[in-house]
Amino acid sequence: MPTLDIDKIKQEVVDSQIWRAVFRGGVWSDTPRDRQAHISGNVWLHLHPAKVRPRALKWTYTWGLGGLSFALFLLLALSGVLLMFYYRPVPGLAFRDIKDLTYAVSMGRFLRNLHRWAAQAMVVAVIAHMVRVFLTGAYKRPREFNWSVGVLLLTLTLFLSFTGYLLPWDQLAFWAVTVGTNMAGATPLLGNSGPFSGLLGMHVNNDLRFVMLGGTSVGANTLLRFYVLHTIAVPLLVGILLILHFWRVRKDSFSAAPYQANEAKVDVWPNLVKREYIAAVALVIFIMFWAITKSAPLETIADPNVTMNPEKAPWYFAGLQEMLVYFDPWLAGVLVPNLIIVGLMAVPFIDTNPKGVGYYAWKERPFAITMFLLGVVMWFSLMAMGVFFRGPNYAWYWPWESWWTFKAAPPPTWNVFGPHGQAVLPLALGVPVLGGLFLAAMLLPKLIQRDLNGWKVLGGVLLATAALGAVGAGMGKFTGTQVGFLLFFAGMTTWFGFVMPQRHIRRLDWARYLVTMALVVSTMGILLKMGARLCFNIKYVMTVPVVSMNI
Amino acid sequence: MSEPKMVQPPARFPTRPAAGTMTRGDFLWMGWSALAAFFAAGAAAGARYIFPNVIYEPSQIFNAGPAKDYDMGVSMKWLNTHRIWIIRIPTGIYAMWARCTHLGCTPNWFPDQDRFKCPCHGSNYTLAGDVIAGPAPIPLWRAKITLASTGDLIVDKGVLADQPPKRSQAPFFLTNSELGLS
Amino acid sequence: MSYRKLFYVLNFLLLGVFVWAVVKDNDAEWKTYQRTYYEKMATYLDAQAGQQKDPAQAAKLRAQADEYRRHPLAIKQIITDGLGRYDRCITCHVGMDEYENPGMTTPFKTQPYAGHPDIAGLVKAHPFEKFGCTVCHEGQGLATTVADAHGWVTNWDRPMLTGVHIQGSCVKCHGDFRTLKGAEAAAKGYDLFHQHGCLGCHSIDGVGGTISVDLGDIADKPIPRIAPYNFLRVTIDGKHLEEKDWKIQNWILGHLVDDPEYVTPNDPFAEDNAEPIAPSPMPDFSKELTRDQADDIVAYLMGMTKVEEDEIPYRYHVAAPPEKEPRFASAKAHGKYVFEKYGCAGCHGVDAVAGRRRFNALGPGQKDYDPKMTKAELFAEMEKGREPTLPDLMSGYDHDELVAKIEQGVPPTAAKKWDPNGPLPVVYMPAWKGKISKKELDDLATWLLSTAKQQNLGF
Repeated sequence: MPTLDIDKIKQEVVDSQIWRAVFRGGVWSDTPRDRQAHISGNVWLHLHPAKVRPRALKWTYTWGLGGLSFALFLLLALSGVLLMFYYRPVPGLAFRDIKDLTYAVSMGRFLRNLHRWAAQAMVVAVIAHMVRVFLTGAYKRPREFNWSVGVLLLTLTLFLSFTGYLLPWDQLAFWAVTVGTNMAGATPLLGNSGPFSGLLGMHVNNDLRFVMLGGTSVGANTLLRFYVLHTIAVPLLVGILLILHFWRVRKDSFSAAPYQANEAKVDVWPNLVKREYIAAVALVIFIMFWAITKSAPLETIADPNVTMNPEKAPWYFAGLQEMLVYFDPWLAGVLVPNLIIVGLMAVPFIDTNPKGVGYYAWKERPFAITMFLLGVVMWFSLMAMGVFFRGPNYAWYWPWESWWTFKAAPPPTWNVFGPHGQAVLPLALGVPVLGGLFLAAMLLPKLIQRDLNGWKVLGGVLLATAALGAVGAGMGKFTGTQVGFLLFFAGMTTWFGFVMPQRHIRRLDWARYLVTMALVVSTMGILLKMGARLCFNIKYVMTVPVVSMNI
Repeated sequence: MSEPKMVQPPARFPTRPAAGTMTRGDFLWMGWSALAAFFAAGAAAGARYIFPNVIYEPSQIFNAGPAKDYDMGVSMKWLNTHRIWIIRIPTGIYAMWARCTHLGCTPNWFPDQDRFKCPCHGSNYTLAGDVIAGPAPIPLWRAKITLASTGDLIVDKGVLADQPPKRSQAPFFLTNSELGLS
Repeated sequence: MSYRKLFYVLNFLLLGVFVWAVVKDNDAEWKTYQRTYYEKMATYLDAQAGQQKDPAQAAKLRAQADEYRRHPLAIKQIITDGLGRYDRCITCHVGMDEYENPGMTTPFKTQPYAGHPDIAGLVKAHPFEKFGCTVCHEGQGLATTVADAHGWVTNWDRPMLTGVHIQGSCVKCHGDFRTLKGAEAAAKGYDLFHQHGCLGCHSIDGVGGTISVDLGDIADKPIPRIAPYNFLRVTIDGKHLEEKDWKIQNWILGHLVDDPEYVTPNDPFAEDNAEPIAPSPMPDFSKELTRDQADDIVAYLMGMTKVEEDEIPYRYHVAAPPEKEPRFASAKAHGKYVFEKYGCAGCHGVDAVAGRRRFNALGPGQKDYDPKMTKAELFAEMEKGREPTLPDLMSGYDHDELVAKIEQGVPPTAAKKWDPNGPLPVVYMPAWKGKISKKELDDLATWLLSTAKQQNLGF
């Protein structure tokens, strides 16, 4: 009786013409040559170099976030394609198909949950990846371009989430997209309700919003458009940018960490590949667990005449929604998001600090890291406000308050410059005052060319504010909370908008200095305006209704 | 072997021909321009392509029935079908479009607080449609109403007004005498 | 842990979680019910076979039982393209599958195993393959879990109609529901609706009062339009509702079995507004109507839907017989009918016996207004405001004066407030000129004047 010689069978299989046709190379004997051949002989693994610097393998350096984002992209592509088999992008049918997926398709509910939660996880992963790259200074020369590609990928990730949001055709979907596309309608010049839209003759049936919707309101055309964008156009674009992104990562030697003496590279197979695999599998297990235990929401079918109360954007857009409370749509919905995207893309070009490339270095890059984290914290605070502090009628509810408690109507708001229907006051007084303040904020830090004691400046401003608050409170104009708010916002803007730039970037060349300050001042502007609304019910600091220009 | 004959090599670049004929350089330049123009035209046509010429959307005009059927206050009768509140005040009637001027959500009427409140970003409006709180930049739109010979109100959402004095006169506000109501 | 070990462990976990997903997906709620039904049928048939004397018959029954045991499990649905309904109810309610079980009867009493009752030949008249389930029962036909299918969950606005409320579905198509066998509750609801004068304030498709909302599409009222803090106060059978029960039928029922003033208190003391706003002016019917009567009215009103009327093609509708104005022997009898027809009872009470509550108006037994009173005392006094009790007033009018008074009405601004700082009473006497015929008006006045005489005779 012949014995079963496993090694011989293996050898025969590996030496067969079919195996050889598919896989190059002989029997695996785990030599360095084998490992390199494995990477370079496989088109997928060849995204990696054959050898990599050991620093790139450290978990605490990369946290595997870029790889995890890509793993989620693949998971989303797979589950998305499977979902497409049961989905028709037509109002009515779309909703029914989601119901079918939930109730009648084998694994349908699981797949939809998986897709939904993986999408949210991807948003988290991509943002976290960006934060990590920033903190380790890995965007600095020669990686500026790849950082910009990454910012675009983050934007496209959010856009994918947004377009996918409409597809279930429920109330949640319908109103999120109604609000989102109406923001496009408020784009300056190009949207029908934006500032200066009259110059180009924009109407509801020829503006930017009309193109997005394929009509004047969210309807069948919109659903089809969003479906095509979500399933074909944007993923294709993301794929192209991903190739570029990966190729650059590989060309830039996979890690920005500074070279150490006698640094020996290690084999990618198995050292890097095994780490990637472990991280990806752990993540997939986590997402599957999440998809099994928690179902994706589905509200009632879309009704263009009824808005759910409250209507909330998905959490990653909740910050935007919250900001829309304080600013006109063209500012909060168009200008600020674009400023964030362009500002982020500009970061490698305005940050001239050569230190802190490839490691976490708060002390060596105090300005860059503080300002970036301030932005991140503000954005997430806005999100938290939108998600946890808003209830019916989008009124302010503390997290421990029931949404069903009665809330008195909010008090009326007022404008500083520009009573209704008049342009004289805002133009004659508002523009000079606001412009002067803006210029002062922009230029002062650079014009004062000596070392100031930041704490003294902060103390002085706080003291002055406190004195003002005390006088106001004494006259019965302010309440204690208002004075508290005032102190908070005055302190924040003084420290981050004046002391920090004055201390750290006053020696920057003018071009870089101005771009940086534009970003800093607009961030402070957002803070100030929020404070003005929350404490003093100021609706607009300046309004010129004729051109829909409200600030 | 005979002495090789010296042949005059052809000029690398031909001398400029007479004006009016095309040079190779001109041709290349125009060729590249043609390609660029093709891309530009393609992009323009593509941009035009995504603007639909016909859309299937319901009519903006509807018959809201006789004026005398409306009592003081906010009528929700046409809210579910036409997204319009018919509002009667002691002096007359107006039709308000139930679309928040901020970002297009449908506000709800709270009779206990005498306000319209939008669930999306918290805009508050008075009965007249003026913004008293929240981010909405302009008052709620009033739709054109006309009195048909039958005594019915014809509402047209295609014609809108938001500011006084325009919104407080015909056709955006019909007084009791214009409506024949006591 | 080494990467190699982690690799194995994670692979096991990956497989494990996926198997869990598959098992969970496979373990659908409906399968349990369908399997149990087949098992119950098999057991029942075996028992029948055991009692059977004829061995051939017994074998046949046993074979049937085996067939039930071997029955494959599947989602079953009724597709009614004509109505646009896709109902999977028979996936669990197998006994109501007209092909599986043409008789629609099963030996079981409990749902989902019971058959479908055939009230008044209802099943024969509405073959399920043509009508499906949810067009009458409501609920979510596409769903295959108990809670979601019955629709008493958030995110489904039309849950299954329970008890007599289902007769609202008859009203959707049957214009002649008042004489329809099986729709008695809805018919009773219609009568009660008119007797109690609901029409005085509410209209149905434009017919009736304009003081409150038109009820012609009340069943379509979107739930987000109802303020949660009001829904929170709805009390039915002494209990507040759970959030999943915030549905339109409970909203209507809550207004009939409890005091609407409590459900919608508004702002009578101007605590949140510049002007005080009276609580809901709807009378408190909880003393007048029994719980069953309230349900009957809800049954009738659940048929008041425009959305479904439009969805259901015209060929499914049964036109109402032309309504003939009833004839009366005497002017008095006609007058009493007119009083009911125009909803006068809504304010003046059934048969005009006593005026109903009118918040902050003057009323019998009120103390004098005193600004030093507490809010609770003020509220209690304002609540004593009443609409006029007509028989008490009739001695002050002659026929022509009364006709003129009804024709002119009393404008809302002419109301006398008890608390001068309180809200304006909401309900008022509309001007009936042009809305009511001369003959009707005359007979109404005649009847009203006669009530005064009867009252006075006793004293």
